Amino acid sequence: MTATSPLLSFSGIDVVFPGGGTAAVTALKNISLDIKAGEFVSLIGPSGCGKSTLLRVAADLIGPSAGVVRIDGRPPDEMRRQREIGFVFQDAALLEWRRILANVALPLELQGVARDERLARARALLDLVGIAGFENAWPRQLSGGMRQRAAIARAMSTSPRVMLMDEPFGALDQITRDRLNLELSRIAEREAMTVVFVTHSIQEAVFLSDRVVVMTPRPGRITRVIDVDLPHPRQLDMRGTERFIELCQLGERLLSEGFDDSAH
Amino acid sequence: MTAHTDAMSGMRMGLANALAAAMPCLITTVIVLVAWEVAVEVTGVPAYIIPAPSRIWAALISGNASLGYHTAITAFEALAGFVIGSAFGALLGIVFAYSPLVARSLMPYVIASNTIPVVAIAPIIMLWFGSGIGAKVAVTAFLSFFPLALNMMKGLQSYDRTVMEVFHVAAATPLQRFFKMRLPSALPYVFVGLKLNVTFSVIGAIVSEFVQSDRGLGFVIMTAYRTLNMPRLWAAMLASALLGILLFVLVAAAERWLIPWHSSMRDNS
Ligand SMILES: Nc1ncnc2c1ncn2[C@@H]1O[C@H](COP(=O)(O)OP(=O)(O)OP(=O)(O)O)[C@@H](O)[C@H]1O
Ligand SMILES: [Mg+2]
Repeated sequence: MTATSPLLSFSGIDVVFPGGGTAAVTALKNISLDIKAGEFVSLIGPSGCGKSTLLRVAADLIGPSAGVVRIDGRPPDEMRRQREIGFVFQDAALLEWRRILANVALPLELQGVARDERLARARALLDLVGIAGFENAWPRQLSGGMRQRAAIARAMSTSPRVMLMDEPFGALDQITRDRLNLELSRIAEREAMTVVFVTHSIQEAVFLSDRVVVMTPRPGRITRVIDVDLPHPRQLDMRGTERFIELCQLGERLLSEGFDDSAH
Repeated sequence: MTAHTDAMSGMRMGLANALAAAMPCLITTVIVLVAWEVAVEVTGVPAYIIPAPSRIWAALISGNASLGYHTAITAFEALAGFVIGSAFGALLGIVFAYSPLVARSLMPYVIASNTIPVVAIAPIIMLWFGSGIGAKVAVTAFLSFFPLALNMMKGLQSYDRTVMEVFHVAAATPLQRFFKMRLPSALPYVFVGLKLNVTFSVIGAIVSEFVQSDRGLGFVIMTAYRTLNMPRLWAAMLASALLGILLFVLVAAAERWLIPWHSSMRDNS
């Protein structure tokens, strides 16, 4: 692998769901996208445009009907088996029957990492995501935001090369969401994480990302990729700057154009 | 505040709450017992119609042909059958959950067998297994078998689909999926089944003692009935109720211990 080659690449991806009685659904049509190591890329688009499907293809949760996905030059199932993929779902999906520390340590436990080592790593991660002190809480005792923090820590536990996040903050209130955005942005920068992040909020996408990929539905495809040339590290008050507002307006226009297209 | 102190105070709260919750029932019990005793005394109702509580109590603790012995026999039959039937039921439930074909082939029989009254099946099983304690154990095992198979299957199918995907992304093996995800998700269902079974197993043991026996609470009830020894009959009834409650409480305690995340969740709601 040369330095310029992408860490995560989709080329010519189609995903067709057999309708099973009804007509088949083409969720993705000819998607090509290259993501460099350390890059933060957001996917945005109306419901049903295939954002989740694209992430699921990258995580080997579904196979594409056509096209090739490569992570560091290797197929996703191989990278998944090597624990090089982290996935954060909209629902934190913590195991109710495990305390928070054991939840965060789960992927390491499945990998066979020794108990002391994995618990130490899980503690460090709880600290990193800002919920140190809740090691022994049951998941149901945590707020939605804290549960999502735990889910992020869990996804980070095996130090995956690629982090896939499907509307992780979609169910949170605005203030919690802002805080988590800021912290995620810090963590991603510090850990040089490669992130693909799905969201419905153009502000969230612009705030977090190096690039925002705008998608349209029926069939799901990429309309435009916005380069976000805001400086790092990102600060919440950046959202008042002219450039930030400009980028958001561009995103919104592209999104509504996507709607017009599909209405024809 | 740490989760540990939370749990401690939660436990103390739980005890205090339990006492407070039981208080009205305790008071009612005392009132009913006193009223009953007085009413029997005043009206002079004969003991073979309604014995006074004091006479039932005397029969309960009388050393001669002690009820304790017979209660222990019935308890053993109920418990052994419950454990054996539940264990095999759990295994069948696992097979059902992993093989839809087997589940579809056998499910009608499982459901049908659930509707057979124990009084109808007990004599048949006892013809196969003889008249000893083993036959009673077989009857109670039969009663526990199918309900647990159904609950285990339902429980194993009740896992959260997103959690399954978490396990997939983390490259879990099938065994890890079973022991670290599906089985823990199934435990609340399993305990629903176990709590039903433990009550039915006492009924099963007593009914099969009705069919044929020379010991156990069912035997005591039958002989007391034939000799019109009503205080003893009532005492046996009381003993069987207490046995049922005790076994239920044991299973509930096991539930609290094994799935604290779940039982404590229900407390809060
Ligand atoms: N397992 C599936 N079987 C059949 N069709 C599916 C399946 N998963 C997704 N689809 C269809 O594929 C299309 C894209 O779905 P996807 O969930 O990827 O959209 P999305 O962009 O994530 O939407 P949202 O913003 O609502 O999450 C939709 O039309 C959906 O109905
Ligand atoms: Mg989605």
